[in-house]
Amino acid sequence: MVKVLLKKQLSEIFRTYLYDAKKNKKRSNLSIFLCFAFFIILMVGVLGGMFTVLSVLLCGPLLQAGVGWLYFAVMGLVAIFFGAFGSVFNTFSGLYLAKDNDLLLSMPIPVSVIMGSRLLGTYIMGLMYSGVISIPAVVVYLVVGKLSVSTIVCGLVYVFLISVFDLELSCVLGWVVAKISQKLKNKSFISVIVALAFFGLYYFINFKAGSLVQEFIANAYMYGMNVKGSVYPLYLFGRIGEGDWLATLVYVAAIGALFAVMWAVLSRSFIKIVTTKSDSRVKGAKASFEGKSASSALFSKELTRFTSNANYMLNCGLGILMLMFFAGAIVVKGDMVRSICLQLLGSEGDPAVVALCGVVCCVASMVYVVVPSISLEGRNLWILQVLPVSPWQVLSAKIKVQFLLTAVPSALCLVAMAFVVPSSIVTFVLGCVFTMLFMFVFALFGMFVGLKMPILNWTSEIIAIKQSIGVMIALLVGFVYSAAFVLLFILFGRNLGSIAYLCISIAVTAGVGAVLLSWLKGRGCRIFAEL
Amino acid sequence: MLNIQHLTKTYGEKKAVDDLSLYIAPGEIFGFIGHNGAGKTTTLKSVVGILRFDGGSITIDGSSIVDDPIACKAKVAYIPDNPDLYEFMSGMKYLNFIADVYGVSKADREARIGKYADVFALTDDLSQPIASYSHGMKQKLAIIAAWIHNPKLIIMDEPFVGLDPKAAHILKGMMREVCDNGGAIFFSTHVLEVAEKLCDKVAIIKAGRLIRCGTMDEVKGDDSLEEVFLELEGEEE
Repeated sequence: MVKVLLKKQLSEIFRTYLYDAKKNKKRSNLSIFLCFAFFIILMVGVLGGMFTVLSVLLCGPLLQAGVGWLYFAVMGLVAIFFGAFGSVFNTFSGLYLAKDNDLLLSMPIPVSVIMGSRLLGTYIMGLMYSGVISIPAVVVYLVVGKLSVSTIVCGLVYVFLISVFDLELSCVLGWVVAKISQKLKNKSFISVIVALAFFGLYYFINFKAGSLVQEFIANAYMYGMNVKGSVYPLYLFGRIGEGDWLATLVYVAAIGALFAVMWAVLSRSFIKIVTTKSDSRVKGAKASFEGKSASSALFSKELTRFTSNANYMLNCGLGILMLMFFAGAIVVKGDMVRSICLQLLGSEGDPAVVALCGVVCCVASMVYVVVPSISLEGRNLWILQVLPVSPWQVLSAKIKVQFLLTAVPSALCLVAMAFVVPSSIVTFVLGCVFTMLFMFVFALFGMFVGLKMPILNWTSEIIAIKQSIGVMIALLVGFVYSAAFVLLFILFGRNLGSIAYLCISIAVTAGVGAVLLSWLKGRGCRIFAEL
Repeated sequence: MLNIQHLTKTYGEKKAVDDLSLYIAPGEIFGFIGHNGAGKTTTLKSVVGILRFDGGSITIDGSSIVDDPIACKAKVAYIPDNPDLYEFMSGMKYLNFIADVYGVSKADREARIGKYADVFALTDDLSQPIASYSHGMKQKLAIIAAWIHNPKLIIMDEPFVGLDPKAAHILKGMMREVCDNGGAIFFSTHVLEVAEKLCDKVAIIKAGRLIRCGTMDEVKGDDSLEEVFLELEGEEE
């Protein structure tokens, strides 16, 4: 039974890889292979590669300092953090809000089996995220450090324990969110605020990572002794990777006991949470009959959907806050920004404006509200299809929301840049034009991807919001396009001059935009009408 | 009002609707009956422009749903078999959204929402999120939304499912009122007693083909609609 439910769960997660929604049939073997290859390249190549570099940086110096265990402790903590980051937001919606909970509960399936299959789905997501750190960490140690039966076996246990601990952490946080949601009004915004605190911590650590690693390597032995003296469990945790059987057994027992407690708590509360409707009644709301145009109504509907859904805001709109944070950082750390530009570009004037515009575009790529907007229509799609509005009116409302949500905070960054980085007016204006054009073209691209890869029959909205291949493609293309803009400027653009480079970039981006716009107004509208 | 000529729609190898022709005149309540999978929903969805069809034509008040879908949709309202509405909106927001899209004036929407929300006893719930509504409440909201722009033609797929007896009675009265004012109703149902009492005309469809169509008297004669329906179902087999 667990196998059947897990298969259903996994087939939903990887549905876009296996099934072509547009042709309404299974993908060809080649297409499935390419989809999975893309996924593997992203997870193993990009993320795994990044953490392999970190492992190589840390492993040698820490082994030389005689604190190999500290290497495993640090990499383990990073893996736990990253794994929990990747799966915690799935847990609440995947476990408690799945649309097929009622159906499954009405069938002769034990509640523990339903819960177990859902947890296995969450576990696999957590394993994917933590594994891109813990597996390279073990492999690098086996290559650089000691290769023996005990280090191989304990290394595997180390990877497994981290993934299980991630599951426990995600479940505890998911359970807390579920309990809070039953009591609170405006829970979308409260969930977002709580999650943002989590994000804030994450990005603070990331921001400080470079200097922390240097400092850490230089004083590894001293830190190691301090940690061993004051946080002995962390020392034991690190010893697992070095092949210490006793430490491994202690942690297997501890994580196992924690899992038993977590299972007991979830078993007692799962059915109650799933079957209890939250008290969402609004008191004293006044009826308003004010009218607006059809286009404004569609725009307003899209914005309401975004602001009423914590998952949607957190996953697709995080970049909005990152942009605002970046604007603040430009103002507060103006000297640092200028000095980095000077080091990288040899100038802090016009070239700095070009590079910073590229960074703003890169950060804005994290806002992909438009990509899952078609999929989120789901079973409500009929409403838009029977209303007397053209497909283009519907699509343009979605594009406008994406543009608004990126253009406003990006404009803040540009204003901050104008105050902090001195440049010629022409360069600044062209930089602004390029940035805003990028926001528009990225919105068009997001709509293109959303139409090409819709998932309309999801049972958990997180599938549409986070786990679709379209979302990954949009993110990657946004990053690559903006990174290429900066890199090409550093390599060739400086010789051309900032103004010439910006003019060329604007022309190219406008060309891409024109092609996308033409496709959306023609083929895109037909695809939407036939969904 | 609604003219369907030689409508054909296939799903892969299967013909869901096969050369179906119907005409619904202003002032008529037209019932559409048939077994599960007979092609009723496919026909209704083709009429309102949700489904593309393979052959034939559909015109609403003289406009083709293929050539001029916006003009057709502006005259039509549709209630699906399952009222999946925007759960992130309140009932009032949803009605305002629909009224905005159809360009209903402030005075008209206020009057119509007030009137129909009152008769369905939904006024106090309009400020609540649709997510908190029961199936019946969602169905009532979908009905109010359909009536909000005073459509000429109302297409309904199993409209009485989920409604309590009082609401069903109110809906029947509303349907008659639309037709008395020159509009038309085209709806599918499995409740043959309702069809028999309410409809001016009826069509019976089986395996995508029209097997009987006409006024209620023409179709059933001296028998009950149920007897005729069951007899026709048996004959074809």
